[in-house]
Amino acid sequence: MTDRVATGQRVAESETQAWAAGRRASARYPRLPRGLHPVAWWLWALGLATAASHTTNPLALAMLIAGAALVVVRRRGDAPWALAFRMYLVLGAVIVAMRIVFRLVFGGGQGDHVLFQLPEIPLPAVAAGIRLFGPVAVEQLLGGFYDGLRLAAMLICLGAANALANPRRLLKAVPGALYAVSTAVVVALSVAPQLVESVLRVRRARRLRGATGRGLRALRGVALPVLADALDRSLALAAAMDSRGYGRTAAVPAGQRALTGGLVLAGLLGVCVGTYGLLDVSVPGYLGLPMLFIGLSTAVVGMLSGGRQVRRSRYRPDRWRVAELAVAGCGVATAAVTMLAGSVDPVLLYPPVSPLTWPELTPLMVLAVVVAVAPAWLAPPPNRGNIRPEAYR
Amino acid sequence: MTALRVAPRTAVILVLASVAALATFAWPFLVPAQPEGMARTTEAPLVFIVVLPVLLAVVLAELGSGGIDSKALAMLGVLAAVNAALRPLGAGTAGIETVFFLLVLAGRVFGPGFGFLLGATSLFASALLTAGVGPWLPFQMLAAAWVGLGAGLLPARLRGRAEIVVLAGYGAVAAYAYGLLMNLWFWPFSVGADTQLSYVAGAPVLENLHRFAVFTAVTSTFGWDTGRAVTTAVAIVLVGPAVLAALRRAARRAAFDAPVTFATPPPSPTPPPSPTPPSPTPPTADLSRPAPIPITPAVARETFRPGR
Repeated sequence: MTDRVATGQRVAESETQAWAAGRRASARYPRLPRGLHPVAWWLWALGLATAASHTTNPLALAMLIAGAALVVVRRRGDAPWALAFRMYLVLGAVIVAMRIVFRLVFGGGQGDHVLFQLPEIPLPAVAAGIRLFGPVAVEQLLGGFYDGLRLAAMLICLGAANALANPRRLLKAVPGALYAVSTAVVVALSVAPQLVESVLRVRRARRLRGATGRGLRALRGVALPVLADALDRSLALAAAMDSRGYGRTAAVPAGQRALTGGLVLAGLLGVCVGTYGLLDVSVPGYLGLPMLFIGLSTAVVGMLSGGRQVRRSRYRPDRWRVAELAVAGCGVATAAVTMLAGSVDPVLLYPPVSPLTWPELTPLMVLAVVVAVAPAWLAPPPNRGNIRPEAYR
Repeated sequence: MTALRVAPRTAVILVLASVAALATFAWPFLVPAQPEGMARTTEAPLVFIVVLPVLLAVVLAELGSGGIDSKALAMLGVLAAVNAALRPLGAGTAGIETVFFLLVLAGRVFGPGFGFLLGATSLFASALLTAGVGPWLPFQMLAAAWVGLGAGLLPARLRGRAEIVVLAGYGAVAAYAYGLLMNLWFWPFSVGADTQLSYVAGAPVLENLHRFAVFTAVTSTFGWDTGRAVTTAVAIVLVGPAVLAALRRAARRAAFDAPVTFATPPPSPTPPPSPTPPSPTPPTADLSRPAPIPITPAVARETFRPGR
């Protein structure tokens, strides 16, 4: 009895301490844990990826990757998608390794500093007269490593956004024109877990009937009822959606609808011409990138104006606040500073492979990485299940 | 039976966007050799990575612009969920790909527009649930969407065994085509610019095609792509008839084609009976009320289904 009382007292004491610590922490950091607007995280990550695409300097790329990883570790929640960041790191390593291996096996053997010789294997003429292996030069491997690391860094930046941004909230933020498709994705995301329950139910029913089949017959016996169940469920869901007012549309005049269609059509034509102009240099330059982006933005404007027909209300919408602005601004600033560094000193951002040189950093690149890491402190702490307040520091 | 009507304008937009999107896959064959062209080859893939998601969004918005019927939308979501749940079953085992057979069958039953949307939403949901979002996702979504679209465009009159044979053949071809498209997209990224397998800017299309054929044969055709084609065809042959029947039954019950009309309310009911007690003679036929439906076991099953 006394033991229990003592334990209770100890629990109460520790709770008081935790509360006090929480008070101290919140006094120093008056921010409640909350999920940041997912678009802010994506803008930040796209800024980092843009920065990574503008350099092959391995030091800068490694610092960008480390910075993104730090932000992820400090600011991710405990949702399943937040734990997938490791997969992107592995995928980045695979890309780098693949580039180096391809250069080793299929590389032509350019470069002066030959590391070692591998026996050459000429392939028959069917394979375009390709020669496998041969001399392996440092320049060749290093070129593959730089290129691969740039690609891996861009991928890891996107992986960071994937880990930090809540995809369900992102689906809520899509423009009205994509409302129907995003609703279908939301339905898919919420039905998928119910399928597991459905499989369990069908298997239990089979066992009650004494079905002991194994292998393919049992698979059919489970899979088809689950499919039929899912299809029936979709009809019930449709009835529920109808009764809650799905499909309510605003009256849009015919002229506006024609304008929408015309904008989208003209925009897509522009995209086709722009793509052609981008790839064919014999046409004038304005038919290339500028045309592509004019076409693309026309089509997007058409798409957005088409979304006016959709009427919907949002339950607890995500607000765009100071922290969101700061995080998105960090991404944009990182990209801008890296581009500035590239225009000031292009050689340091693209260190030459031959002659061999040691890559160097410039103050501007360091500044870019510092800006990229800032959201680790600027963003509000994530909403994790149970976590000690001290961890927010 | 089409669950999603594709208006002529939507079809034109779909074709235009597909042409532009095909260029984002196949650009290495089209790059010229001039020095400016060489400079552009470094930026072209990055530009296309930005362009393709926007193109895809425009097409998806256009397909949904007529307002997707709630039954079609729920069907789309549920089938995408099944596809997304099927996908991890095959991942990890060399080349076993379980996404395509349901996509092909559903595209066949519900029509090309629905197949296109199902391909795109399936891969998107699967990416959110398990696989991860990355620059590859729009390309995968579009390739899978084309697979579903093609299944919906197969000749409609086939039924029975011939239908299964055609669908299995289409599934195998589509699986190879999907693999080729994904390789084509990844080709410039995976090997870099200056190995013997890389594309050569300005070379004749045939030479680049040859190099690509070697690349894709070396990396995936005999392992992954063949595995995917065989799995898809075998799955369609084994469970195709049953799944087709289930999907067609669902389509019939949903009655996508049924015209919705709002009938005018029936004329005012007969005046309430006078408070005087009714005459002892039993009413022979009360015409103001519909005749009661005799409840047979079949009606009871349809009416008292749990979950309706």
